[in-house]
Amino acid sequence: MRQEIASVTANTELMPQVHLMWLESPQIASIAQPGHFVMVRCGEGLEYQLRRPFSIHQVDKTKVKLALLFTVVGKGTHWLSQCRVGDNIDLLGPLGNGYSIHPGSQNLLLVAGGIGIAPLVFLAQQALSQGQSVTLLLGTSTATQLYPEHLLPSEVKLIIATEDGTAGKKGLITDLLPDFTGWADQIFACGPTSMYQTIVAQNQQKSKPVQISLEVRMGCGLGVCYGCTVKTKSGLRQVCKDGPIFDLGDILWGELDL
Amino acid sequence: MNLSIQLAPKNKQGLSLTNPVMTASGTFGYGTEYSHMFDIQKLGAMVCKGTSLEPREGNPQPRLAETACGLLNSIGLQNIGVEALIKEKAPIWAGWRLPVIVNIVGETIDDYARLAGELDGVAGIGGIEVNIGCPNIKAGGAEFGAKPGSAAEVTAAVKAATSLPVLVKLTPNTSDIAEVAMAVAEAKADAISLINTLKGIAIDIARRRPLLGSITGGLSGPAIKPVALYMVYEVAGAVELPIIGCGGIATASDALEFIMAGASAIQVGTANLTNPRAPLDVLEGIEQFMGKEGIEDIAELIGAARG
Repeated sequence: MRQEIASVTANTELMPQVHLMWLESPQIASIAQPGHFVMVRCGEGLEYQLRRPFSIHQVDKTKVKLALLFTVVGKGTHWLSQCRVGDNIDLLGPLGNGYSIHPGSQNLLLVAGGIGIAPLVFLAQQALSQGQSVTLLLGTSTATQLYPEHLLPSEVKLIIATEDGTAGKKGLITDLLPDFTGWADQIFACGPTSMYQTIVAQNQQKSKPVQISLEVRMGCGLGVCYGCTVKTKSGLRQVCKDGPIFDLGDILWGELDL
Repeated sequence: MNLSIQLAPKNKQGLSLTNPVMTASGTFGYGTEYSHMFDIQKLGAMVCKGTSLEPREGNPQPRLAETACGLLNSIGLQNIGVEALIKEKAPIWAGWRLPVIVNIVGETIDDYARLAGELDGVAGIGGIEVNIGCPNIKAGGAEFGAKPGSAAEVTAAVKAATSLPVLVKLTPNTSDIAEVAMAVAEAKADAISLINTLKGIAIDIARRRPLLGSITGGLSGPAIKPVALYMVYEVAGAVELPIIGCGGIATASDALEFIMAGASAIQVGTANLTNPRAPLDVLEGIEQFMGKEGIEDIAELIGAARG
């Protein structure tokens, strides 16, 4: 884990209210793995008391730059969205435990709900470079919120669902999941809690290992403040340090009221 | 330039710091988490996470809510318990130059006394900070530190159980903090640290319910600094003991305000979460200020703003 002042090299509004930001951050980019996150210090001065956690969306081929993909939801992300090329941003990272591709897994099924696409692009890139096959199920509320297909590696098989039916299949992405479960050796998901709960409820998933990225309010990102503790079947876990990637079956959903 | 201070002059073993910058309990873990980021041993002292007799699970999520220039938390004192602390953490601290102070929390007076007894004589532990901002379950949940009587009782029980220097950390959630400070001093505390967090609530208007899982939380950060500074000023006028100021300190100028109000040392807390190097930045800033102002000894600044 490093603290690094990273310089913004690009910041574009990729979808409405969703920004793709590239940062020159060689110390963090060179050791980041899919599922890792960074804590970003937002704002100047004393207004913001907490850094904001963001999944690492991508790392460039030279491992000098990393990308963040984020929705503007509050004042911290608003501040970040206004940063310009050349601005310096204070990062802590890479943090957490990433996704883990089991030896022998060949067919990887990635399930993204909305902005949950963020860490999965990095995972897809790594899996493809190792010769694995990747199918990505991407669900959003509407077509304009879909991550642009041309930014995905061309080898990814992309399946789309939108809630309003403006692109792909109409409905939730989890509606399509049972069709692909049989093919997959492992499933990797990132999305809202409701999506994870639906996956839990789909009994047929029991046979395939599912790793999810859990999001709770974090304080420090390093396991110091105990702000993000959740109860799991293997005891108390700090999402920042022990996660954010967990086995779906480990989470005690009844205990989790986010 | 001399920045060293003695926080427990009346204690046999004493609590000598090379400088007045400490970390506040609950914001710096056990120190090991940050030790690879910078040389934490340059700091005056470290106060570890609040520790209870048995491990505690803490409160339900959400535990954190950022507010204007502040942070509300309801961690619920999640910690590994005193036994694991002695076995796993103290041996690491024993190799450190800076004193480590263990913050202790209890639900009964007996809890505090037993904790103090367990920590007595353990290598790697330089002192105890008594958190009297905990709910006293026998007295219906009011904080021990809310009343002078119960604050003094806890202090006396801890002092009787240990020879370690004892700092008592006062809660601001009381009607007269000077009165509580005097009671704690009377009960032979070696030093007083203040303030703990202020009780607060945030509400999620979309869901029409409190934002924190346990409804109330403790407010910290720059939002509380003027309140903390006032209380340090008050207490410094009421007792002779060394005072450790805490509450919203993020910069060297914040720290200097507390020192000039009468604090002998200060603790950096919430600022650590955004800037893990904050305590070191504060220390370097104090040194720069002293250099610029031609001050040879930090003692010249303690209470300098008092009439």
